[in-house]
Amino acid sequence: MQIRGRSAMVLIAPAALIFAVFVIYPLIRGVQLSFTDAIGPSGGNFVGLKNYLHALSDPTVVHALGNTIVYTIVVVVVQNGLALLVAFWLFKLERVRNFVRAGLLLPAMMAFVAVGYLWSYMYSPLGGPIDDVMDALGLHALEPIWLGDPHTALMSIAAIYIWMFLGYTATIYLANYMAIDPALIEAANLDGAAGWRRFWSIDWRLLAPSFTINITLSVIGSLRVFDLPFIMTQGAPADATQTLSLVIYNNSFANYQFAYGTTLAVLLLILTIVVGVTQATLLRRREADLA
Amino acid sequence: MTALISQETEAARDGGVTPTGPTARAPRFRSRRFRSRASTVIASVVLLAFTAVVLTPIWVLVTVSLHHGNTSPSNPFALPAPIDFQNYVTAFQNMHYLRSVGNTLIITLATAVITVFAASLAAWAIVRHTRRWTRTLYQIFVSGLTIPIFVVLTPLYEVMQKLHLLDSYIGIVLAYTATIMPFAVFFFAGFLRTVPPELEEAAAVDGAGLIRTYWKIVFPLLRPATATLAIFVILQVWNDLILPLVLLSSDDKQTVTLAVYATIGTHTMSPEQLLPTLVLGVLPLFIVFLALQRYVVAGIAVGAGK
Repeated sequence: MQIRGRSAMVLIAPAALIFAVFVIYPLIRGVQLSFTDAIGPSGGNFVGLKNYLHALSDPTVVHALGNTIVYTIVVVVVQNGLALLVAFWLFKLERVRNFVRAGLLLPAMMAFVAVGYLWSYMYSPLGGPIDDVMDALGLHALEPIWLGDPHTALMSIAAIYIWMFLGYTATIYLANYMAIDPALIEAANLDGAAGWRRFWSIDWRLLAPSFTINITLSVIGSLRVFDLPFIMTQGAPADATQTLSLVIYNNSFANYQFAYGTTLAVLLLILTIVVGVTQATLLRRREADLA
Repeated sequence: MTALISQETEAARDGGVTPTGPTARAPRFRSRRFRSRASTVIASVVLLAFTAVVLTPIWVLVTVSLHHGNTSPSNPFALPAPIDFQNYVTAFQNMHYLRSVGNTLIITLATAVITVFAASLAAWAIVRHTRRWTRTLYQIFVSGLTIPIFVVLTPLYEVMQKLHLLDSYIGIVLAYTATIMPFAVFFFAGFLRTVPPELEEAAAVDGAGLIRTYWKIVFPLLRPATATLAIFVILQVWNDLILPLVLLSSDDKQTVTLAVYATIGTHTMSPEQLLPTLVLGVLPLFIVFLALQRYVVAGIAVGAGK
């Protein structure tokens, strides 16, 4: 059915209005705020690039940026590697498929608040189950104070995110697997290219669409990581779990430095766009090469 | 048990393959089939063990939450004897559980309804009225997918304050609707592009107006997409902490996640007292997941086919 111009405008109006008032306007206003010295939700004077220059020399921000990048790389690589492995097996093993998929998806159904407090208990140096297990295995000497040691805190949190979203990522890979023409896989199996040889020569190319989606989702999600550091560590110890989103939140809503908080948010947006566009270009070129 | 299962799988697969293969090659196949059967068993066991490890923290969550009082559990992996629900009663009261669940339900339902109608109407117009301005608008909606919530959070607080929507259901519902809108429009538009317009044209020939055509033809067609989107909204709203934290301030409007956060933040708790709060916090979504697993999986997998 062809919809006439005026009707189209009426149909689009509610969605566009809500989106404009509560996302687009705040976005523009945020960019504008970042050039002022506003404290709290009122006025402020134009100060040019002062906030941006301050941000680049703010040690907390530099720390947070480094942490966010390291965290993103670890989560994206480990989560996708493990998920591919799981999906590869689940595709083959029909009998355990539904059970394993449901089991691995369960953590993704939990709220971050619940996950944060649960894992604070799991990692606890005072009777936490992980240390219990390590004690039982005679590994007491290797126990760090997981969330209290600057060397392990960030990776301990990264492990929780991977725990939460591994099933999610694997489900997307598996869906891609099941959409592949079975004749292609069967032919490769008959040609003797089974197992990992088949994976590298055949599956890897055919999984390109889900690879693009998963990498994009996990990169965008990891760059804005907030909830677990906020709930579990508040950036401690020694800024080891400080992330960009956490610094933004603390500046805006704990210290009411609205202008500086939004400045950091704009920097996060720029980082997200730069990384997003670069990776979209690379992944699309890769898909084209493989096709 | 696992061996039995995988044997059956192998048998089923062989049944499909053997007739196509030349019979002369069968003997050589047999040894390889045996080897692949063994590897199937091993792989199944490894995967099941891995799943058990992944589920262990959730198991610990349940067992420890059933302990009595604040006697630190000697073995967090075993169910206590006797099982004790007293800490659940306390958590239930501290969280104002029924009220929190009710609040979250209201917010979820309102968000789902507004998002579904606003986004599907917009997507319908964008797909069936292809002009430069609708294409541009679509691009703007979709680019919203990359905006981190923190970029708009501070000014959003300001907007809500000016509109007197702070600490109101309608305010937080509009905030959720707006942040989910890019995905919803993208999703419905993608779905509608695969639907041929003939049905709608037939309705128009029969004299049905725009709204009637939408309600009688388009909306029913979108049902699978609507179900998936509704699940997406449920997951988003039930698990989110940041918007309620910033936009809601009075206790009687608390959502479940906020109730968990507030309860634990204001009490010093031992694990047995803390974990029942978490169980109550995640229980509603676990039930949704177990009941609607097929739709949840379909919803997650939606991107993979495109």
